[in-house]
Amino acid sequence: MASLFWLQCGACGGDTMSLLNAESPDLLELVDTLDIELLWHPSLSTLSSQAQGELIESLIEGEQALDVLVVEGSIIRGPAGTGMFDARGGRPKKDLVAALAARAGSVVAAGTCAAFGGIGADSWTQASGLQFLKKAPGGLLGKDFRARSGLPVINLAGCPCHPEVMAGTLSALIAGQTLELDEFNRPLDWYGMTVHQGCTRNEYHEYRVEESDFAQRGCLFFHKGCHGPLADGPCNKLLWNRRSTKTRAGVPCFGCTSPEFPAPFPFFDTRNIEGVPIELPKGISRAHYMVYKSMAAAAAPERLKRRETKI
Amino acid sequence: MSKRILRDIPLNRVEGDLEIRIELEKNRIVDAWSSGTMFRGFENLLINRGALDGLVITPRVCGICSTTHLMAAAGALDRIAGVVLPDNAIRLRNVALMAEHCQSDVRQSVLMFLPDFTAALYAAHPLHAEAVKRYAPLAGERCVDVVRQTKTFLEIIAILGGQWPHSSFMVPGGVSYAPSVIELNQCRHLLARYRNWYEQSVLGCALERWQAVRSAADLDAWLEEASAQRDGDVGFFLRFARAAGLRDRGQGYGHFLSYGSLDLPADTAVVAGGGQLVAAGFVADFGAVQSFDQSRVSEHVAASWYSDYEGGKHPFEGVTDPRATGADGKKYSWCKAPRYAGLPAETGPLAERIVGGDPLFLDLVRQEGANLVCRQLARMTRPATLLAAMETWLVEMAARPDSPYYQPLSPLVEGRGFGLIEAARGALGHWVEIREGRISRYQIITPTAWNGSPRDGAGLRGPWEQALIGTPIADIDNPVEAGHVVRSFDPCLVCAVHVVGAEGTPLRG
Repeated sequence: MASLFWLQCGACGGDTMSLLNAESPDLLELVDTLDIELLWHPSLSTLSSQAQGELIESLIEGEQALDVLVVEGSIIRGPAGTGMFDARGGRPKKDLVAALAARAGSVVAAGTCAAFGGIGADSWTQASGLQFLKKAPGGLLGKDFRARSGLPVINLAGCPCHPEVMAGTLSALIAGQTLELDEFNRPLDWYGMTVHQGCTRNEYHEYRVEESDFAQRGCLFFHKGCHGPLADGPCNKLLWNRRSTKTRAGVPCFGCTSPEFPAPFPFFDTRNIEGVPIELPKGISRAHYMVYKSMAAAAAPERLKRRETKI
Repeated sequence: MSKRILRDIPLNRVEGDLEIRIELEKNRIVDAWSSGTMFRGFENLLINRGALDGLVITPRVCGICSTTHLMAAAGALDRIAGVVLPDNAIRLRNVALMAEHCQSDVRQSVLMFLPDFTAALYAAHPLHAEAVKRYAPLAGERCVDVVRQTKTFLEIIAILGGQWPHSSFMVPGGVSYAPSVIELNQCRHLLARYRNWYEQSVLGCALERWQAVRSAADLDAWLEEASAQRDGDVGFFLRFARAAGLRDRGQGYGHFLSYGSLDLPADTAVVAGGGQLVAAGFVADFGAVQSFDQSRVSEHVAASWYSDYEGGKHPFEGVTDPRATGADGKKYSWCKAPRYAGLPAETGPLAERIVGGDPLFLDLVRQEGANLVCRQLARMTRPATLLAAMETWLVEMAARPDSPYYQPLSPLVEGRGFGLIEAARGALGHWVEIREGRISRYQIITPTAWNGSPRDGAGLRGPWEQALIGTPIADIDNPVEAGHVVRSFDPCLVCAVHVVGAEGTPLRG
């Protein structure tokens, strides 16, 4: 049996809502198959308040073992570093997070806010991630933090995180399997690919058939602010709610798995130099990309220019 | 002078952070203070961002009703643009919003409200064992069923808008995607499955049978009519709540507010008065319905941790300037106190039914007052008022595959507008001002700001502060009874209760 405590801090609850949509396994099968003892989840538990307080004390004292701590939402440090913008019983919640993390076998940051600060990282709330503040290692727990398992905080980025990523990570951690992590401690199994890969608009992207307005079929990268070719994440491999993704439905990828989400630029416009995006697909040289794109546009088949696909 | 004991008693199974301080006398609540304990400062995050950026940032205010924030944000921008939306865009937006409501109402009821019936407080209740079998967290039969059915139903929003939660498919002028007829048919099948399940398991009868329940006497007859009706979630809830005496609890002020919602397309078979499926209006003190005028909305900060100003300010004039001053002063919440015509107002499914003139709920409120059982019943049965119209709109979209879903616009440079809709939890408003193509002002008033508001400049309690008065508390360590009252408003807040016990109350522990 693995004990799990789920804590919400500066959260909207979106990662919990996302997890409720998990398909195979669904949340109930996940708990059952992995024999998870869900000590506490703010949306699901019926523990009395007294019992919850005693539980937290016994976790902090080390009397009750804590195998997995999941944190959802940013660590709010404002105002002026006090953390009192997010208090529980008159005490800043950030202190509770630190005390529980010190006892946990593994610590999982569910969503971009818990991982990197996310919404509010640049605001009065002084939001931070557990072990990163945006791209900088550190955050609440410090860059040298390791859970009892020896692992750093596992960052499951995304706003929200995809339910299969949460379920898959818990499955691996509880089974003691190794997860290969990237430089931001995101598991490569899900963040070692771009949102662009698997997008149904890829052929339009190949031939630079780009849209300037909404409700069209073509690519959103050049003008509509899409970050799909830069963003690390499995959206178009796994799909959302078993059905689709934002990019498939004509909504640009906002790069919500990035440590710097939300970027301080308008979401629906691509910043560009002479019509070519400033931020190019990962790892490509600007000169090559410009040559490639002008040739691609010249080679674009008429059926794409006329948007004659049903995809 | 009575000795007061401060206690920190979390009530969870809500969204967000809340503490309620309760003053008890002879085991009854005699006063209450509702304190939102988390400040996320969304409005300030939006200042100086791109004109459309509220479509991305504001859904992240709330993961449980992200489509709703998107709809309000898009509505404000539509108004600034002065655009007339294409009929199909109205239909698609409505269907997505209604899908979010219909899953939220059932999840809140079965995963968040009804698990309280499994509490030890009710060990002697004749239906307690049945409640545990049905509603125990993660294990109760009904909880398992609801998790599985609601997530499948949400696929409708993914088909139409990419994902749930947190998509941004509503844009000024319409929506970002024109679904194919095949995709609309898929939505229709998902809807049919959910409707069948809702009828069989939640209502225990066909939607049409439920709609024939038009008075308190009809409701009693309905409950006796068939075992399926007694055994559905609605019937079980009523039988349990009545036997537990809950109809005396959680009485509201009798002030009800609905902004109105779900605009009708110009060409539709869905029939409703006033151009909206959910009517707008305000009721003061159980009186006649008054027409709604957004200029009468104001926000007070006398008891809120923000820089003081006199009286209330309209959201176009409002500012969000946090000033924490500690718990000992008269300020005690990060929530501002919204008021309509100077009055605190309850909002949500019950308010919608009262404002809309629903005969069943008018009769129940007349006979029993606006108690927590009425409030929760209105939520559990709201899908019965939405599912048929959803189907009509899906069929109408599929019949008009060449009609537009988007009206092209020029970039938004200057102007101000508001998007006012009904969220699952009640009245939601976004007030937006754009200058030089950037957001210069953004004020949001959520339903929970209305229902869970602190006191205002006149010292008037917020709606659930008021509704808590008189609630008996058997075990101060586990005040399930207070939880019923607060959860009947479907709060979007994780909730903790500070209890102030006056001397003489037999406090346990």
